[in-house]
Amino acid sequence: MSAGPLPWVNTATPLGRRNPTMKLAVLFVVSFALLFVFDPLTPALLYPLALAAVLIWGRPSPRMLLLAHIPFLGFALGMLMINAITRPGEELFTVLGLQASVEGVTLGASLALRTFVLGVLSIGFVFSTDAVALTDSLHQQARLGPRLCHAILAGYQMLQDMPGTWQTIRQAQSVRAPAPAPGVRRPGIREFGHAAFSLLVVSLRRGERMAQSMESRGLGLAPRTVWKPIRVERTDWIMAFGVLTVLVVVLGLGVTGGWIRGYSALWG
Amino acid sequence: MKPVGAAVIALQEATVHYPRRAAPVLQEVSLGLDAGEQVIILGPSGAGKSTLLALMTGVIPHSVAARTTGRVLVAGQDTAHSSVAELSRTVGVLAQDPESAMCMPDVDREIALPLENHAVAPPRIDALIDAALEHINGTGLRGRSTRQLSGGEGQRVALAASLVAEPPVLLLDEPTSMLDAEGISSVRRAIDRAVETRGPAVVLVEHRIDEYAGSDGVAGLPARAIVLDAAGTLLADGPTPTVLEQWSRRLVAAGCWTPLDTELQAAFGTGGGLACPIIRDRLLGWAQDRPTVPAPSRGGVVLSARGLSVTRAPASARKRRRDPETITAQLEGIDLELHSGEITALLGANGTGKSSLLLSLAGLLAPLSGTVTGDRPGMVFQNPEHQFVASTVREEIGHGLPAVINGRPADERIEALLAEHRLTHLAEANPFRLSGGEKRRLSVAAMLAHSRATLLADEPGFGLDRKATISMMAAFRDAAAEGQSILFSSHDLRSVATLAHRGIVIAGGTIIAEGPIFEVLGDRGVLSRAGIVLPPLLDWLVEVEDRPEAIRAILDGLDREVSPVPGMQVQS
Repeated sequence: MSAGPLPWVNTATPLGRRNPTMKLAVLFVVSFALLFVFDPLTPALLYPLALAAVLIWGRPSPRMLLLAHIPFLGFALGMLMINAITRPGEELFTVLGLQASVEGVTLGASLALRTFVLGVLSIGFVFSTDAVALTDSLHQQARLGPRLCHAILAGYQMLQDMPGTWQTIRQAQSVRAPAPAPGVRRPGIREFGHAAFSLLVVSLRRGERMAQSMESRGLGLAPRTVWKPIRVERTDWIMAFGVLTVLVVVLGLGVTGGWIRGYSALWG
Repeated sequence: MKPVGAAVIALQEATVHYPRRAAPVLQEVSLGLDAGEQVIILGPSGAGKSTLLALMTGVIPHSVAARTTGRVLVAGQDTAHSSVAELSRTVGVLAQDPESAMCMPDVDREIALPLENHAVAPPRIDALIDAALEHINGTGLRGRSTRQLSGGEGQRVALAASLVAEPPVLLLDEPTSMLDAEGISSVRRAIDRAVETRGPAVVLVEHRIDEYAGSDGVAGLPARAIVLDAAGTLLADGPTPTVLEQWSRRLVAAGCWTPLDTELQAAFGTGGGLACPIIRDRLLGWAQDRPTVPAPSRGGVVLSARGLSVTRAPASARKRRRDPETITAQLEGIDLELHSGEITALLGANGTGKSSLLLSLAGLLAPLSGTVTGDRPGMVFQNPEHQFVASTVREEIGHGLPAVINGRPADERIEALLAEHRLTHLAEANPFRLSGGEKRRLSVAAMLAHSRATLLADEPGFGLDRKATISMMAAFRDAAAEGQSILFSSHDLRSVATLAHRGIVIAGGTIIAEGPIFEVLGDRGVLSRAGIVLPPLLDWLVEVEDRPEAIRAILDGLDREVSPVPGMQVQS
């Protein structure tokens, strides 16, 4: 098992070098702004811009980028369909006795496209951020307590070992089975339950030992220092400023062009 | 007892009760530890050795639910009123499991964490990490990922992290129990060097005392010894050689691990260890006087492997197809046969592939190539908790058994196994709530219940005291006498020599020796290639005796000095 960041994470890119808390904050601001937008054109303009930014500055593998879209695609299609057939309004077409309205399709498309915008930005964040650096940065920039941050870090270490422990437990329990056939069989619900319970107990015990180990090395004492502080650099501010400028310009275009719609789209 | 005021740690009539236990685990223990003093704590399983350490760190009463009376003072502070983190200014800890001690992604941050916690100025930290690694002979470990360290390396890094903030007391809780010979000696050297340069007081709890002491014998142990008895009361406290001499019989009879010299003193009433001619003569005399263990009746082949290549983890069929060259074999060209009624030991350093081989033989890990033929073996895993599937001890043993075994109800068999493995009084208890030794007995009993032709066991003696080890060996012998074939891996060469008929040594990715156990253990070339170091008694025995039954008679004779365990039948 790899020890460093997860295999799809690439921090050696312009986006990877940005401060994790700043990236998270920018992602949050864009999400929040889009909460108030209900026309399809605004997110449709934002999506290609966000995709281009992630591709250029995050340099993810195109295949992984595409694969990572799948969950968002499912969610977006659901949004589109539910809204299309449940919203009253001018009939667009009827399929299998279900009537789709123009208002419903418009709103559904807006929500679906919003999902894609937030999706691609989240993918950009996840693919360019090392979990350890994120925790450090949240500790230093977002003032998350040292005990919580180190608990997360230790948990992250444990999580990486968990597939191996699960496999050992399944092997250890398979050998108890009465069946004469060798091999580790696919677990049924009972077997799955037994293995999950063992994993829980074993992990709790290990977590307890790790907690004791960290406490006995003084975690929780105040004041404390930070060996290698993660700083917010000028480039981080430039990134934040750039993203927000693009957002404001696109929203501004919507206002001047008259296509942007707010909550009013929901009821009329 | 020392005046409390002068001591860096002082216990005043400390008593600890755990919930759901009738008797206290420690009873009115009073002792003091001076700055720079070196202490070893001896006692059988359940005597409260780990509890004593937990009192000193403050884990009891702060993190573990236990009722305490009396007082524990660390650097003059009552531990009841100071947090574990606060007490860490005085007390550093090295626990037995390096994996759980590693909380950070890399070595540098692991060692930096205590410094950050103790508010050391950041510009100083780099140099302090270097110095700490230097003191554990680990300068090459800088920047390494903590998840890729070997057991010995992990323990040394954990030691560096325990000492880097310079606590005046260092607690060592079985620091070498998970290591092979090379790991033990590297950790031991690191402890010596670190203690020499930084001078903390040391409190050591250790099972594998001879291995820890190395060639120095008793002189290689801390200068002061404290003995706890099974009831958790302080039995003796004084200079280590004196305490071991005075209490040798009682320590050995209680089933504690003790240095060889102490064991021989208990058996013969004379000090001097193996260097003493009287003791040597009497040991060799045992080989003549005592009835010897009969040579095993070697039955037919029950499990065989041909041209086996095994890998560490199963690779998905897709991965095998897509990039077969990335899957590397841990062991190659393995040919072996296991015979009915025979006990075979699997020997080799940590990480050589013993566990993978056992898993492949058990049919739980698909081999890269080659075949395994024979009925499906049973297997006892290193961590008993991994195997538990039931909510009571009785159900655990009955799991997967047919209703009728050999024309008799399965319940009879279950009751017999409960009695044989001293589990009857725990029959309705939850397996996860048992003590370490009880869990091990249960996992062995539950696997023996199936009477499969082959039983595989991965480090079955791990964490047991001497008494429990002897009774587990007896269970294995009984199973072999009934015709089962047993293959077990172990670092405890004394048990290996006592129990096994044959030995298989793996090193460098394959089997390098296979044969009758004393031929294997007597081959110095093989041992050094495999990184195996014989304990002093075995080293001497294979030198002076070439009859396997004579060596076994001597080892059995020493095991008999441990007070007999109910249900244990040592074959004679």
